[in-house]
Amino acid sequence: MRRVKRARKESLMASYSLVGKPLPLVDGVEKVTGRSVYGTDMSLPGMLYGKILRSPYAHARILSVDASEAKRMPGVHAVITADDLPAKRVGVALRDEWVLARDKVRFIGEPVAAVAASDESIAEEALRAIRVEYEELPAVFSIEESLKADAPLVHEELGTYEPSPYIFRFMRPTAGTNVASHIKIRKGNTEKALRETDWAFEDTYYYSRAHHCYMEPHAVLAHATEEKVLLWTNSQRTFDVRAYVADYFGLAQHKVRVMNTKIGGGFGGKITPKLEPIATALSRSSGRPVKITFTRQEEFAATGGQHSAKVKIKSAGRRDGTIVAREMEVTWDAGAAADLGVSVSLLAGAVGVSGPYQISNLKVDSYLVYTNSVNPGAFRGMGMQQVCWAVESQMDTIAERLGMDAVEFRMKNAIVEGSRSATGEVLHSVNVKECLAKVAEAMEWDKKPQQPNRGKGIAIWHKFSAPSTSSSAVVKLNGDGTVVVLTGASEIGQGSTTVLAQIAGEELGVRLEDVTVVSADTEVTPFDHGTFSSRVTHHAGNAVRLAAIDAREQLLKIAAELLAKHKVTGEQLEILDGQVCLKGNHAVGLPLAQVVLASESRVGLPVIGRGSFRGLGRFQLDPETGQSDVPAASEWIYVAQGAEVEVDLETGKVKVLRLVGAYDCGKAINPLLVHGQIEGSLMMGLGSTLYEKIELDNGQVMNPSFMDYLIPTVLESPPMEVFVMEDNPHECGPYGAKGIGEAGIVAVAAAVGNAVYRAAGVRIKEAPLTGNRVLEAIEEQRGIPTRG
Amino acid sequence: MKQSLQMTVNGQRHTVEVEPWRLLLDVLRDDLGLMGAKRGCGEGYCGCCTVLLDRKAVHACCVLALRAAGREITTIEGLAVEKKLDPLQETFVARGATQCGYCTPGMILSAKALLVKNPHPTEDEVKIALSGNLCRCTGYAKIVEAVLCAASSAQERNL
Repeated sequence: MRRVKRARKESLMASYSLVGKPLPLVDGVEKVTGRSVYGTDMSLPGMLYGKILRSPYAHARILSVDASEAKRMPGVHAVITADDLPAKRVGVALRDEWVLARDKVRFIGEPVAAVAASDESIAEEALRAIRVEYEELPAVFSIEESLKADAPLVHEELGTYEPSPYIFRFMRPTAGTNVASHIKIRKGNTEKALRETDWAFEDTYYYSRAHHCYMEPHAVLAHATEEKVLLWTNSQRTFDVRAYVADYFGLAQHKVRVMNTKIGGGFGGKITPKLEPIATALSRSSGRPVKITFTRQEEFAATGGQHSAKVKIKSAGRRDGTIVAREMEVTWDAGAAADLGVSVSLLAGAVGVSGPYQISNLKVDSYLVYTNSVNPGAFRGMGMQQVCWAVESQMDTIAERLGMDAVEFRMKNAIVEGSRSATGEVLHSVNVKECLAKVAEAMEWDKKPQQPNRGKGIAIWHKFSAPSTSSSAVVKLNGDGTVVVLTGASEIGQGSTTVLAQIAGEELGVRLEDVTVVSADTEVTPFDHGTFSSRVTHHAGNAVRLAAIDAREQLLKIAAELLAKHKVTGEQLEILDGQVCLKGNHAVGLPLAQVVLASESRVGLPVIGRGSFRGLGRFQLDPETGQSDVPAASEWIYVAQGAEVEVDLETGKVKVLRLVGAYDCGKAINPLLVHGQIEGSLMMGLGSTLYEKIELDNGQVMNPSFMDYLIPTVLESPPMEVFVMEDNPHECGPYGAKGIGEAGIVAVAAAVGNAVYRAAGVRIKEAPLTGNRVLEAIEEQRGIPTRG
Repeated sequence: MKQSLQMTVNGQRHTVEVEPWRLLLDVLRDDLGLMGAKRGCGEGYCGCCTVLLDRKAVHACCVLALRAAGREITTIEGLAVEKKLDPLQETFVARGATQCGYCTPGMILSAKALLVKNPHPTEDEVKIALSGNLCRCTGYAKIVEAVLCAASSAQERNL
């Protein structure tokens, strides 16, 4: 507590030259002039184009693959099938996938073969010349079908699969079933508590699959020679890609170099390596560089987006509004591979499942269930919006039945400093009530909208960054006093390059334009777990800060030697505006450049600072109770979301009039970018709240284009009022900063759903809240029979 | 069967030999090395490939290259005049209207087409002009702000 208070005080008191300033992106001009080089822009001399043949069946045995005709086609340089690849399964959590299908296919769109040809049309023609014989098998297309006792098994060998070296400890597959993982929380005694409470309500909510829709498709360029595999990729986790590819091909890690291109958005969708192993194999086979770029159709049909979820929730409590017990069953549709669904079912299905509430009796079962569809993966929010949708919708229904105000009911049960999380962690730097109060005030919660078909809704939630991840950084000084920062974190558009430059510049007393950031090259930049889980500012930011402080200390020591005649020590010096000078007497000093030059030539110790940081926490949950004394999160952030909507009672169309939210980020190192992250995250959340759903028909994606899968355009963008809460710095954060990238998305659906209820009197239990769905609910309520 | 295509791109005349089925986007990127226009969907829905064809915004992924014969094309690379950024480019950076930047060239050119025709647009007119350009990063608010700000700054400069 004392440490928190100290951090808070320091953060509030400190005055900074670069930190806390709303500075534009350091690579902004490059972006607006079209000079940035993205994955899709890469090319090398002699480069071939790779294309992937995909399964047309949801579940089938592969009887034969004949690629002989394709191999003979002019312009085709390589054709690969499973037989040309290592007989090793892959998977980021559980090794339950093949790079190219072997023996059977498990979803429509599963890669079966790949070709590399001198142009894309020849490659496509070659795909058509590959003959694959299949024998269809019975398939499962929903979690309900999949959980039936006699359901066909997506993975007959489940139970024998090897865990991957990465996040294996939380995989709890049940052999002989379609359950890829089952995570439990048993806290207190819900059975006993339920018998003693005054009320109990049970509901079931559904959230649909949405797609990331980053504007730049996946693109990888591989150049594999005898000596080395070079990969240019728009992946969010370069070091993971290296480990994955090296492990798969049995190569030492220094034989695989993975470099980031500019990345046109990720949102979690560019974490699991999808193209890298195939591009590498094609390049090895052809002896030429090979580039593969997904078409937009492939993005929709062959990368799975976000996990749909079914959330059963039963809450019980006392007449005064105290929630005493809650039982939840959260079922996630894994598709045909566990992938990062394992993390989703753990992070949102267990660690964050209860929301920011104090509930002493909690029983949760989070199931990750295989079906014969393309598997979803990591997605901004990591499952939180699906669970928040259920919990926060139910919170409103309970408040209404108890005759309590929705804000008051939440205030009564919300966590405070020192409360325990669902998994038993003692929580610090908690400000969810402050966030809620801010939003209630800003949206004039007490005032009802004048128009009858308008309503306000509110929801609160939390998000945390995954524990046990680390970042490291190197800060180098150039002979002219400029600075190079090396980071293994990926810049995916969130602005990490700018934020990390601000931090290095702050600590070294140089201008922002004197700092350059090199991002994610496995042979140049030091290790970083990568860009996901809102972790970069907090983790890589700390690493860069420590590296810059290390460099600064080296500089000041050398400067003290250079200033020997003034009898000063390093501690008495500081760096301001590129000058090393005596604290309190700036007349005594040296240009930074002179100190660096002296360090290089006279002292022979070029200034190179290094820093590394590991976030708090560790997953040590008890397998039976889900409880742990060790924090299961690196840092928690809190969110309160308000929405005001108007519902057209004739068409069911929901118009969002405004979104108002308060978001805890500890400290906004760059308020311009923090606002940008929140606004973008809000719109993404609004997309899956109102419009977006990957439509699956027997495992086939029916809307694989922007024509049929509608993401919000500028016309759907409502006014957004964003309050960035900086009253709550994190004791370990750089300048108190936590992460912010996922704050906006988690509570939008629930806030909008609650507003729709107040506007139209209908409680929608399945997102998205499309016009049809809302209209059907209105008509049902009015007693109008549902139309065919 | 290749045909000779003459067009003016960013003020420079080019002659390229192209097959009749080739798309303007591919000729700009692969033949002229102008990589600023991006392919986001290849179907004319996302707007990442937007360029100006005779000062009107078009989806270069849906325009046959030969349709550009004898016409003037502006890509994002040609928007800055003598290295001086267009007001839209300046405000997009200053207002945080670009994040990953993949939609940005197309977004700016759609805004440019609007401002050429209508130098003082209302907020609604800006929104309508940009409704064919998708962005997943920003939530659009800062983009609209940047366009309105560029319009008003250009107005001030003219006065």
